[in-house]
Amino acid sequence: MGAQVQPQGQVSAGREGTTGWIGQAVSGVLLLGLAGLHMVGHHYIVDGGLRDYGEVLQWIGQPLILFAEVSFLVVVTYHALAGVRSILFDLGLNEGQKKTVSRVLAVVGILTIVYGLFLAFTLFSRA
Amino acid sequence: MAVSNAPEGSRAYPGQQPREPQKRVLRWFQPFNRSLGTWSFTLNRVTGIGLVVYLYLHLGVLSLLLVGEESWDTFLAVAKSPPVLVMDVVLLAGLLIHGFNGLRVALVGSGFMVKQQRQLFIGMMVLALILLVIGGTAVFLK
Repeated sequence: MGAQVQPQGQVSAGREGTTGWIGQAVSGVLLLGLAGLHMVGHHYIVDGGLRDYGEVLQWIGQPLILFAEVSFLVVVTYHALAGVRSILFDLGLNEGQKKTVSRVLAVVGILTIVYGLFLAFTLFSRA
Repeated sequence: MAVSNAPEGSRAYPGQQPREPQKRVLRWFQPFNRSLGTWSFTLNRVTGIGLVVYLYLHLGVLSLLLVGEESWDTFLAVAKSPPVLVMDVVLLAGLLIHGFNGLRVALVGSGFMVKQQRQLFIGMMVLALILLVIGGTAVFLK
């Protein structure tokens, strides 16, 4: 399969690029809802614009909210690091460098999600 | 004029791009002979990089919640200061521009409104601006 021009002007080769683009598009659309919920829930329905410690625990202590926040964490981490990968690949890396970048970003993503899960479930347990 | 999918003057294929990484990035900011599509590409990348930086700053700040109530509530006093509120509005602008421009990219890339992508881009940015005014005002009124 030949190279493809993606809507963002990204150039990718073959199935991997197409899968990556679909992943970015789907996660991006999901983020419109998840980030919207996060912003509204933490900033726009709260007196003073920010939740104090007790209010944070009250918010995260609801199982559905915990699920939404964890989903937000996973999707935003994927979307962010896939975007970084795409930008770095556009700098003209060779195949070896691309593999290294992909592996490093995968590790960063896993660490980010593990940290976020630890944070979310610790607060949930305190609620 | 339609909004091009690829940055102007660039390059449909990797072989046509400059070899030096610095030149590739500097092309994002070339002020001359740019189409609306090139500006939307640059906007998406710049806001995206800013949002990634913010994501990790945000996750770092949230660790104060693990320390306890006193640490978090001390941070809140700083977070409600005017300079930080201005940064919140900048963050909101980045989120809205990246979100709605990204939605346009997803729609056009999926084959929807390909011929109307210029109007779509302008419409999305107007929507982002309206929400920014509403959201930005709410940030200072809360």
